[in-house]
Amino acid sequence: MKTRQLLLTALAAGLIGASFGAAAYDADWKRGRIYYRSVCTACHAAQTGGSIAPSTMTMAQWESYLKADKHAAGKDSLKKYVGKDYRASIRSQNKAADKFADVPDAELLEDVKAFVIKGAKDGDAPASCS
Amino acid sequence: MTTNRSIRRVPPWRGLVLAVALAGAALAGSGALAAGKASTADHGKFKELQQSFASGPEVTKACLICHTEAAKQVHSTKHWSWEFLNPATDQKLGKKNVINNFCISVPSNYPFCTSCHVGYGWKDANFDFTAEENVDCLVCHDTTGSYRKLPGLAGHPPYQDTEIPPGSGKFAKAVDLTKVAQKVGRTSRDTCGACHFFGGGGDGVKHGDMDSSLAAPDRELDVHMDATGLDFTCGTCHRTSSHDVPGSRYTPVARDTEGAHIPGRQDDSLPATCPACHGQAPHKGGGHAAKLNDHTDVVACQTCHIPQIARGGVATKMSWDWSTAGQMGPDGKPMLKKDEAGRVIYDSKKGDFVLGENVVPEYRWFNGEVTYTLLGDKVDKSEGVTRINRLGGSAEDGKSLIWPMKVFVGVQPYDPVNRTLVTPHTAGNDDTAYWKNFGWEKAIKTGMQVSGSAFSGQVDFVRTEMSWPITHMVAPKENAVRCGECHMKGGRLENIGGVYIPGRDANPLIDLFGWLMAGGALLGALVHGGLRIVRRNG
Repeated sequence: MKTRQLLLTALAAGLIGASFGAAAYDADWKRGRIYYRSVCTACHAAQTGGSIAPSTMTMAQWESYLKADKHAAGKDSLKKYVGKDYRASIRSQNKAADKFADVPDAELLEDVKAFVIKGAKDGDAPASCS
Repeated sequence: MTTNRSIRRVPPWRGLVLAVALAGAALAGSGALAAGKASTADHGKFKELQQSFASGPEVTKACLICHTEAAKQVHSTKHWSWEFLNPATDQKLGKKNVINNFCISVPSNYPFCTSCHVGYGWKDANFDFTAEENVDCLVCHDTTGSYRKLPGLAGHPPYQDTEIPPGSGKFAKAVDLTKVAQKVGRTSRDTCGACHFFGGGGDGVKHGDMDSSLAAPDRELDVHMDATGLDFTCGTCHRTSSHDVPGSRYTPVARDTEGAHIPGRQDDSLPATCPACHGQAPHKGGGHAAKLNDHTDVVACQTCHIPQIARGGVATKMSWDWSTAGQMGPDGKPMLKKDEAGRVIYDSKKGDFVLGENVVPEYRWFNGEVTYTLLGDKVDKSEGVTRINRLGGSAEDGKSLIWPMKVFVGVQPYDPVNRTLVTPHTAGNDDTAYWKNFGWEKAIKTGMQVSGSAFSGQVDFVRTEMSWPITHMVAPKENAVRCGECHMKGGRLENIGGVYIPGRDANPLIDLFGWLMAGGALLGALVHGGLRIVRRNG
């Protein structure tokens, strides 16, 4: 009985892994570019006195920054600004937030990540902020 | 203990249910992802592409296993041959043959210029145009944004990390050909723009209405390409058939007299024109809209709807003076000078530049006919300006419209004895390349030898002009050119002849005379009518 339970548990765990593998999201760097420039850059330029080009940091620095999930020197979460709630709050003034209003949070975050990694100082195509 | 109790409470069948549910979720997840993609094929699943590739031609061979006719189709296009015989003028044109006043010419500079060829290995005049594996599929079909071809590699991407420019300490990463090949897809603004945004040797240099700002533009920059709106790609208008892209600058359609193209209707033409979608009466409604529609027989759509060029924050070159090239810095080495915005306005290799942003175009009658000054054509410096291309058109020919133009001014080397333009060997690491030795005589001698043309050995400079019809960066209608910007003295169309433009062409004396005549006629009619009434009553 115990062996059977263990086997079933192992099967379930394997399928969990398989499900994540099968549904592994293929990030869309172009969508990330639009969101980054239309939302991140637009807000930074207007409210915090300057935009941040992807090429100002290396891929490792971007990975670390995104993983830390700290925005405004740790005052709030970075994920918040790609989340559906935030998009909903600005969609009337921001076309990118409106266009991508229904994109799952995790996907859009991956999109933005793909863009900044690609556009990093040592990325495939270093990118400016505009 | 707690854990053991929990395990004991779970019936064995619940694990199975969970497993089945997860399996379903896994399948549903993958299905949802597949449905979200426009393509019907995942190239990553093709065995032919599941290998490491040592070169671009190896990738092409793999592509051709399935896309059997693709290379043959590409071979028949101007993108491949860089050659075009203009049937109206019998001039042999194409990048291979024309001379411009930017980087001047392709022959003798092949390995550098052909970084924008849709092929691999065009390093000299012996390039094999018949080899199918020489076609570069990836440059147009890359979706990763990581594929790039470097100047000097004759159309090849870097297969290992490559220092560019040599000695700069900056390295371009080797392209992962397998990754790019497995991710191919439709062309995009990024793939077309990889070359067309950078014509003339840099971002926005050549066209003025095409630069990297169009990769993801907003509505104000281009109402059609707006990345958060209509999101047109280049291919939306340049509707490609069998790899042949319509919309040539050598034979542009200046006046499309056909109606809008309607899906389902038999129609084999592929014009990249405004009327192809908007028809001949694009403004809807009466009154003002009807008056605007009255203009379409004289004015190109672009004239009103592209108020300025270079509007996306990228400057375009407006002039290029090669005669000042070769000046060295205080250290005796080539130097750059920049303006306050950090943009290069002098380069020892190239001379002086004038840059412009938000440039108001010039306007000319244009009927689609373009004649080039080619190598061997006589140049007369005393005329002041040599026209690299001459645009046909007049108010009277019934085929012309008033078009916006970027008029680019150059000062470039020519042979004052043979009185011809020349094709200097600029790019390269050999001793005759101008960018290496800064000697015009050697550079032109080599270039003219490769071109098969005579060179006297003497060098002078001639002022040239080249006109570029403007058709991109279409602004939203609320930002279109206002009526009063043309219908005024000194307005945008001040120099357009052959047509009466109210507001511009009014003469105060004639206007006064006309009003007096009209007023007199009205007064006479009133007096006459009044007298008739008075006399009848009497």
